[in-house]
Amino acid sequence: MRAVVSSERLKLRSVASTHYALGAAALMVVLGVVWSLYVSGLADERGSVRAAAPEEGFLPLVQISLAVIGVLAITAEHATGMIRTSLTVVPRRDVLLFAKAAIVTVMTFAAATAILMTTYAASRLIAGERRLGFNESSFAGNVPTLLASALSVTVLALVGLGLGAAVRSTAAALVSVVSLLFVLPGIANYLPAPWNTRIAAFMLPNLTPQLTGERLSSRLGDGILPPWAALLALLAYAAVALGVGLHMLNKRDV
Amino acid sequence: MVRCAGDPPYPILDGMIRLNHLTKRYGDTLAVDDLSFTVEPGHVTGFLGPNGAGKSTTMRLILGLDTPTSGEALVNGRPYTTLGRPMAQVGALLDAGAVHGGRSAYHHLLCLARTNDIRERRVAEVLDLVGLTGVARRRVGGFSLGMKQRLGIAAALLGDPRVLMFDEPVNGLDPNGVRWIRDLMRSLAAEGRTVLLSSHLMSEMALTADRIVIMGRGKLIAEATVQELTTRYPTLEDAYLALTAGSVQFGAAR
Repeated sequence: MRAVVSSERLKLRSVASTHYALGAAALMVVLGVVWSLYVSGLADERGSVRAAAPEEGFLPLVQISLAVIGVLAITAEHATGMIRTSLTVVPRRDVLLFAKAAIVTVMTFAAATAILMTTYAASRLIAGERRLGFNESSFAGNVPTLLASALSVTVLALVGLGLGAAVRSTAAALVSVVSLLFVLPGIANYLPAPWNTRIAAFMLPNLTPQLTGERLSSRLGDGILPPWAALLALLAYAAVALGVGLHMLNKRDV
Repeated sequence: MVRCAGDPPYPILDGMIRLNHLTKRYGDTLAVDDLSFTVEPGHVTGFLGPNGAGKSTTMRLILGLDTPTSGEALVNGRPYTTLGRPMAQVGALLDAGAVHGGRSAYHHLLCLARTNDIRERRVAEVLDLVGLTGVARRRVGGFSLGMKQRLGIAAALLGDPRVLMFDEPVNGLDPNGVRWIRDLMRSLAAEGRTVLLSSHLMSEMALTADRIVIMGRGKLIAEATVQELTTRYPTLEDAYLALTAGSVQFGAAR
C-alpha cells in the first residue's frame, strides 16, 4: 500500500494539471488581499464596516479548484487509457483507489490549510487596527472554522475522486461536484420553510458552519445538526462517494 | 539471465500462461469462446488472428483488466489479480497509447516502478535498453507511436519478469525498430522467458516466433510450431490465410 501511495503521489506531482489546480486555489490569497485592501479603504472613509472574511467568502474557489485534483486523479487515467497500465501493475483495484484517496486527502488538506491560513494572515495584517467585522475575533476562536473549511475542501476532493471512479468522465464528475456545491444547496434554499433549513443542513457547503456552531445564512438561520453530526455527515459524503466509486471500479472491465 | 542446457528446469507452472475454457461475452457477442491453450517458456509464441478475433480481449482477460464470463486464465498457476508484485512476474504492453501524455517518459516509468518497489536505477536501465534515454524528460504526449511502443516495452521490462506479453508492438516502428524488436523478443525467449506476441505482419512473425496460436471469432483455430505450418504451406502467410479463411469478420469481398 505504501509503495502504491508513493506512486500516486508522483503521478499527481508529475502532471501540469495538479499545479494549475493548486495555482487556481492559491488565487484565494490574491483575492483576499484585494478584498482586504478594498474594505480597509471603505473603513478609512466610514470608520467601520461589516465585511465578510475573505477565507470564507472565497472558499468555493478553493473547494472547486482542489476538487479538480480529486476528479482528475482518476478520470485522467480513464481518459488517457493509463488506468489499464495502472491496473496491470496494481491489479487490486481497492488498493489503487485507496492509495489515490490517501494522497488526495493529504495533498488537498495541506494545500487548503496553507492557502486559508495565508489568506487569513494577510487579510488581518492589512486590516491592522481597523474595524472590518471579520477581524474582530481572536485567532484561537477562528482556528476551528479554518480547519473545518480545509476539511470541507478535502471532502469535496474525495467526493470528486469517488464520483470520478464511478462515472469515469472528467466532465460528468465535475458537473456532479458543482451540483453538490452550488446547484443542490441553491434549490434547497427555495424550499418552503421549515424544509429549506432541514434539507439545506445536509448540503455539503452548509456542513462547514455547522461544524463550528455558526448559522447557515440569514435566510436559513441556524442549522439543525450539532457539530459531531455535521462532521459525520461530511465524512459520510466522502465515504459514500468512494464506496460507490470502488463498487463501480470493481464491477466493470476497464 | 542466459540459461544453459544444464540448468535445472523451472517448476512445472513457472512462466506458463494457461487458459482453461476462457470465455468472454459482451452482450450478444462472444468475444472469446471456450479458449484453452498454454504458452510455454523459452519460446516466442506468435498470437495471430483477423481483426476482431479476440486476441486483445484475451490479453486483457489474462491481465485481469476484463473479468471472464467463465473459465480462467492463469499466469504462473495463479489468476493475475492475485499476484502480489505482478511486475516481477509478468510484463505487458497492450496499448502503447495507454499513458498520460502530460507526464515525462521518466516519470511515467518511475510511477510504475514505485508501485512494485522497483528501484529507481532500473528506470534508467530500461530507458537505455529501449533507446529513449535522450528523450526521458520529454512529455510522452509528443512521442510518435514508435517511441510510445518503446516506452511500453520499457514498462513491460521494468520488473525483469519471466512472462511477457506484447500486443502489436511492431506497429509504428521504423525498420531499425522492427529489427530491434525481433532481436529483443528472440533474446528474451532465449533467456528462458515466456513471450506471447501478437502481430499482423506474417513475414515478421515467421522470423520471430517459434510457435503460433491462431484465433478466429473468439475460438482457437490452430496451435502449431512455425516449422509445422511452413512445411504444410508455402509460407506462414499462406498458412494463416488458409486457416482463417472462414473466420474473417471485417474485410472487403474477395
